[in-house]
Amino acid sequence: MARNLDDVADYFLPRAGGALVAPRGAPPERPAALPILAIPIGERDVVRSAFAWNLAVELARLGASAALLAPRGDEPSPVWPEGGPGPMDTEVVLCDARDLAALGRAALDLAVARAPECERGFVLVRVPPEWLHGNGDARALLRWVLLFTAGEPRELAEAFALAKAVMARSAGARVGVTIHGARRVARAEESFRRLADATARQLGRSVVSYGLLVDDLHVYRGIVARRPIGLEHPQSAAARALRDVAQLLMEDAGRPGLA
Amino acid sequence: MPEPALCSAPPRAELLRLLRGRLSEPWPALRIVAEDLLAAETPIDWVGVDADGSAVVVLVGEAGRDLELVARALAHRAWLAPRLRGFLQLAQAPAGVRPEAPVRALALCPAFGAEAVAAAGAAPGGTLSLGVLRCLRDGAVLHVLLEPLEPAPPRPAVARAAPESASFAPEPFRTRLTDADLGLADDDRAEPEAFPAPVGARR
Repeated sequence: MARNLDDVADYFLPRAGGALVAPRGAPPERPAALPILAIPIGERDVVRSAFAWNLAVELARLGASAALLAPRGDEPSPVWPEGGPGPMDTEVVLCDARDLAALGRAALDLAVARAPECERGFVLVRVPPEWLHGNGDARALLRWVLLFTAGEPRELAEAFALAKAVMARSAGARVGVTIHGARRVARAEESFRRLADATARQLGRSVVSYGLLVDDLHVYRGIVARRPIGLEHPQSAAARALRDVAQLLMEDAGRPGLA
Repeated sequence: MPEPALCSAPPRAELLRLLRGRLSEPWPALRIVAEDLLAAETPIDWVGVDADGSAVVVLVGEAGRDLELVARALAHRAWLAPRLRGFLQLAQAPAGVRPEAPVRALALCPAFGAEAVAAAGAAPGGTLSLGVLRCLRDGAVLHVLLEPLEPAPPRPAVARAAPESASFAPEPFRTRLTDADLGLADDDRAEPEAFPAPVGARR
C-alpha cells in the first residue's frame, strides 16, 4: 500500500527532463502509429519498385512488420505480389487514393491500425512522383521519405528535384537517399555527398544517407521470378546491401516525429 | 486507506493558492512579486522575478485551452515589456528586477498539445516556458505537482530560395558495407566507359 506521494509519483509523472514513465510492470508503451516511409517511385519504374518490395522483406527479416501501400492502379504490378500477406511478416496493401492527401490518409489509417499488432513495424508507401506537385495536406505522409537514385548527374538532378518538392510540401520532412548502382562504396559516397551538399546549400536542409544498393544480377533475377532477393539469395551482395539499408531505417525509426 | 490518485483541478482560487506554494520546486529562482495584475484585457496571475533579473509573467490555464494560454502568455509578455520600466519608476521596484533584461513568460496547464508546444517553441530565445500541472488526491489532501516542459527546439525553416551563403552542414554518408561486401571482382568494379579512368591510372 502506498504510504506517501513519493511511493506513487512515478506511476503518474514524467521524471524531470524525461519521457513519460510507464507504470512498473506494464508492457513497453507502443507508438500510436507505425512510422510511415514514403518512397517516390514512377509507375513503370521496375527497379525501384523491386528495391522497395525487397526492402520491406528485409525489414521483416530483421523482425519488423512491413506493409507496402500503393495506389490501386499498380495492380497487377510487374514486381510486387498481389495484394495481401506476403513472405515473412509483409503485406501489400492497395488503396483507391487518387492524390497525395488521400494516399496520406490511407497510410495513416494503416499505420494506426497496425500499431497495436506489432512491436516494431513500418508502412512503406509508393508515392507517384508527380503527386508531389499537387495540392492537399500531405505532412503525415511526407515526414519521412526515401529516394532511390543512381549516381549519374541526371539521376542526381532528379533526386534533388524530388527532395525539393518534398521539403516544400513538408518543412520538417526527413528526406533520405539510397544510392544504387554504385560499383564501389567510395563512388556511392561521392554521389551522396554531391546531393547532400546541394540540398544543404540550396534548400537549407541536407538529405540523410541510407546507404547503397547493388544492381547485380540477383536483383534482375528476383524481378523476373517475383521472389525476394533476401530469401532467394541471402548471401548475395544485393541482399547484404538491402539488409544494411534496412538496419539504418530500423535505427532511425525511433527518432522523434517519425512515428 | 485509498491510494493517491490523479484528479481534476480544484476551483481556480484554490488551485492558485496551492500552485503558489509549489512554484519554487521546479523553478527555485522564481520569486513572485505581484499577483492578479490587470493587463490589456485580462489579468496576469502572477509576475515574478527570475535569477537573472528578468520579469516573468506567470499564467495558469485550464485543460483543453492550452493554445489559448500560450497566446495569452505571449500577449501579456508583449504588454508588460514596454511598460516595465515605467512601473518600476512609479512603484517601489521589487528587489532584483532589471528592466533591461528580457521579459519572460511561464504558462502552466494540465496538458499541452503539439500545436501549443510548437507555438511556444517558436517564441524568440526561450522567452516562453511551459509547465504541466497535475492534481493528485491523497485521502483528504490535494497535491498540485509541477513539471517543466521543454518546448521542442525550433526547426530550421526550409529556404525555398536560400542564398548560396546559407551554410547547413551536409549529412554524412552512412553504410557498414565495404567494397568486399559488394562482392564484385576488380574488373566488375571498373567504372563504366562514360567515366574513363585517367590514362596511365591503375584501376
